[in-house]
Amino acid sequence: MPRLGTSIRTITALAIAAAVAVTAAGAASAKRATTLNGAGSTLIAPALAVWGPAYSKTSGTEVNYSGIGSGGGIAAITAKTVDFGASDAPLNPDQAAACSDCVQIPWALSATVPTYNIPGLHSGQLKLDGTTLAKIFLGQITKWNDPAIASLNKGTSLPDLAITVAHRSDGSGDTYAFTDYLSKVSSAWASQVGPAATAVNWPTGVGGKGNPGVAAIIASTPGAIGYISVAYVKQNKLNWTRMKNAAGNYVLATGPAIEAAAQTVKSVPPDNKMSIVNPPSSSKYKGAWPLSTFTYVIVHTSSTQAQALRKFIFWALTPKAQHLISNSFLVFAPIPKVVLVAAEKTLAKVH
Amino acid sequence: MASIDTTSTEPIRRPFEGRRVHLGDVLLQGFAGAAAVGVVVIVGLIVWKLVDSADPAISKYGVGFVWHKVWNPVVGREAYGAASFLFGTAITSFFALLIATPLAIGIALFLTELAPRGIQAPVTALVEMLAAVPSVVIGLWGILVLGPALRTNIESWLHSAFGFIPLFGPPSASGASIFTAIIVLSIMILPIVSSISRELFLGVPHELKEGALALGTTRWEMVRGVMFPYARGGIAAALILGLGRAMGEAIAVTQVIGGGVFIHWSLFGQGDTLASKIASEYQGATSNLEVASLIYLGLILLMLSLVANLTAQWIVRRVERRHGVVRGGRA
Repeated sequence: MPRLGTSIRTITALAIAAAVAVTAAGAASAKRATTLNGAGSTLIAPALAVWGPAYSKTSGTEVNYSGIGSGGGIAAITAKTVDFGASDAPLNPDQAAACSDCVQIPWALSATVPTYNIPGLHSGQLKLDGTTLAKIFLGQITKWNDPAIASLNKGTSLPDLAITVAHRSDGSGDTYAFTDYLSKVSSAWASQVGPAATAVNWPTGVGGKGNPGVAAIIASTPGAIGYISVAYVKQNKLNWTRMKNAAGNYVLATGPAIEAAAQTVKSVPPDNKMSIVNPPSSSKYKGAWPLSTFTYVIVHTSSTQAQALRKFIFWALTPKAQHLISNSFLVFAPIPKVVLVAAEKTLAKVH
Repeated sequence: MASIDTTSTEPIRRPFEGRRVHLGDVLLQGFAGAAAVGVVVIVGLIVWKLVDSADPAISKYGVGFVWHKVWNPVVGREAYGAASFLFGTAITSFFALLIATPLAIGIALFLTELAPRGIQAPVTALVEMLAAVPSVVIGLWGILVLGPALRTNIESWLHSAFGFIPLFGPPSASGASIFTAIIVLSIMILPIVSSISRELFLGVPHELKEGALALGTTRWEMVRGVMFPYARGGIAAALILGLGRAMGEAIAVTQVIGGGVFIHWSLFGQGDTLASKIASEYQGATSNLEVASLIYLGLILLMLSLVANLTAQWIVRRVERRHGVVRGGRA
C-alpha cells in the first residue's frame, strides 16, 4: 500500500507538471504570430513551400500547408478544419452547396503534360495533337507506329510497340485539366467518358497513385504514355510531348506558353470558374500550351482568420509572389491581369 | 468465505477473495473494464458512423450495390457498385494465402526443426524484420522492381507454358497487375503466419517429438503426425490473421494493382480491391454520392473481416475439439 501511495503521488505530480507545461506552451504559442493552416492540391504544394517562408519573412504570419489532394482540401475547408483549402479543379455544384459561404479564388497558373517512355525517342521528340491523344486514351490507337501518330511525326522512326496508357487512380486536378482538354477536342471522348472530372471511368490504361505513381509506371514500361504536372515533369526530367495547339503549332509546356493560354480569359465569371484548355486558333495564341489550368484557393467568406487570410492571399497574387514561383524550376506562370482583378474583387468579400 | 473466517483464528489471506478493498484491485478492475468497454464502444461507433455516412449510397442502391459492376465518378453519369472490387479482394487474398501458407509453414519448420543453431537466430530476425517493412515501401519496391521483373520473367513464361488456363492470360503491359499485388500481399502475410507457426511449433512438447522419433518415425512422419496436429488450430488462426491483413491492405495494393473496374480471370490483368479503391479515391472524392459509395465499400470490407474472424474462431474451436488438442497448460 505505501508503495502504491507513493507511486500515485508521483503520477499526480507528473500530471500536474505536464498540465503546467502544456498550459505554458499554449500561452507561448498564443503570444506568437498568427498561423494559417491550409491543405489540398499537391500541384500547388511546391509553390506554397516557396511562398510560406517568404511570406513569414515579410509579415510574421506562418503558413502551414499539407498537400493531401484537391478533394481532401475541399473537404477540409468545408469542415473548417483548415483556414484555406487549395484545389486544381473548381468546386462542383455538390461541393459548392456543402461549402455555401466559400469563395474560390484563382491564385496560380499551371499545366499538365503528356509524358512518354518510347525507346529511342528523346524528350520533346514526340509530337501529338488532341484528337490523336484522345484516341490513345480511348484505347483506339494501340501501337506507336499507328499511321495517325506517324503522320504527326514525319522523320521520326516510331517503334512497332504497344501503347500502355497510364493515368491517375486518385482524384486529381491534373486529371481534371486533362479530361477537360480531351472532352473539348474529341467528341468521342465527350460522349464516351464525359466532361472534365477529377476522376473518370477510364476506357483503358493502368492507374497510378499521384504523380509519382504515374511516373513510376511510365518509367518501368516501354511504350507508356501518361499525363503529369508540369513542375513534376521538370523536376524529374521526364519526356515532354510537343502538343499541337488549335493554331497548328507544336509547343512545349513552358512558362510563356502557359501564360499565353491564360490570355484567352477576357472576363471572369462570378464564381471564378475558368477553363483555359485548348485556346482558340487565332494567331494571338499561336504559342499557347493547350493543357493549361488555373488552380484555386478556397476560403470561407467569414472566419476568425479572415483578415490574416485576406492579407496572405492578396500577397500571393502580387506580381512579386507570382514571380517567386514562375521560374525555370517551378514552372508556374503569373496569372493575367483580368484574373488578378477578379481575384482581388472576390477577396474583398472575405472579412 | 465467511465460514473460513469464523473457523480459523487467523484469517487466511487469499489474494483475490479478501473482503478488504485494495486500491490496486479497484484501479486494475476499473482500468481493464474501461479498456474493454472502450473497444466495444469504438467498434460500435465505427459501424454506426460507417452506416450513417454510407446512407446516401445505401438508400440509393440498396443491397444491389454489392453485385453491380460499375464505377463511374463523373458528375452527371455517376453510378457505383462493389462487385469488381469484391472480386479483386477475393482473388488477391485467396492467392496470396495460397502462396504464403506453404512458404510460411516451411520457414517455421526449418527454423524450429531443421536449421543449424547458428542460422536460426539471424533468419528468425530477418523474417520478423520483413513484417516491419512499411507497406508503402513494399509497394514502391513492387511497382519499381518486382512488377517489371514479374512481367518480363514470370508472367510471360507462365502465359506461354500454361496459357490454356484462364488464370494465366497475356502478361501485363506495365507490371502493375493483380499478380503483382498477390505476390506483394504474400510477402506481407508471410512473416505473420511464419512467426506464429514458429511459436506454435516451439510449443510442441519435447517428450512428444522425442517419443515419436523413439518409436522409429522419420522426421517427416514426426512433423506430420505430431507437430501438425498439435499446431493445426493455431495455424488456422494465423492464416485467418494473414487473410485479414491481405483483405485490408490498402497502400501497397493501390501502388501495384493498376486499378480499373474489371472482373476477369487473368491474374495478369489489372483491378482494384475494396481497400485499394477506398485508398485511391477517398481523398479526391468530389460528390456526396461518391463519398457515400466509398464508405459503403468500407462497410462491406468491415463485414468481410468480421466474417473472416468469426470463421477463424469457429475453425479453431472445431479443430481443437476434433483433435482433442493437448496444450501445455491443459494436458
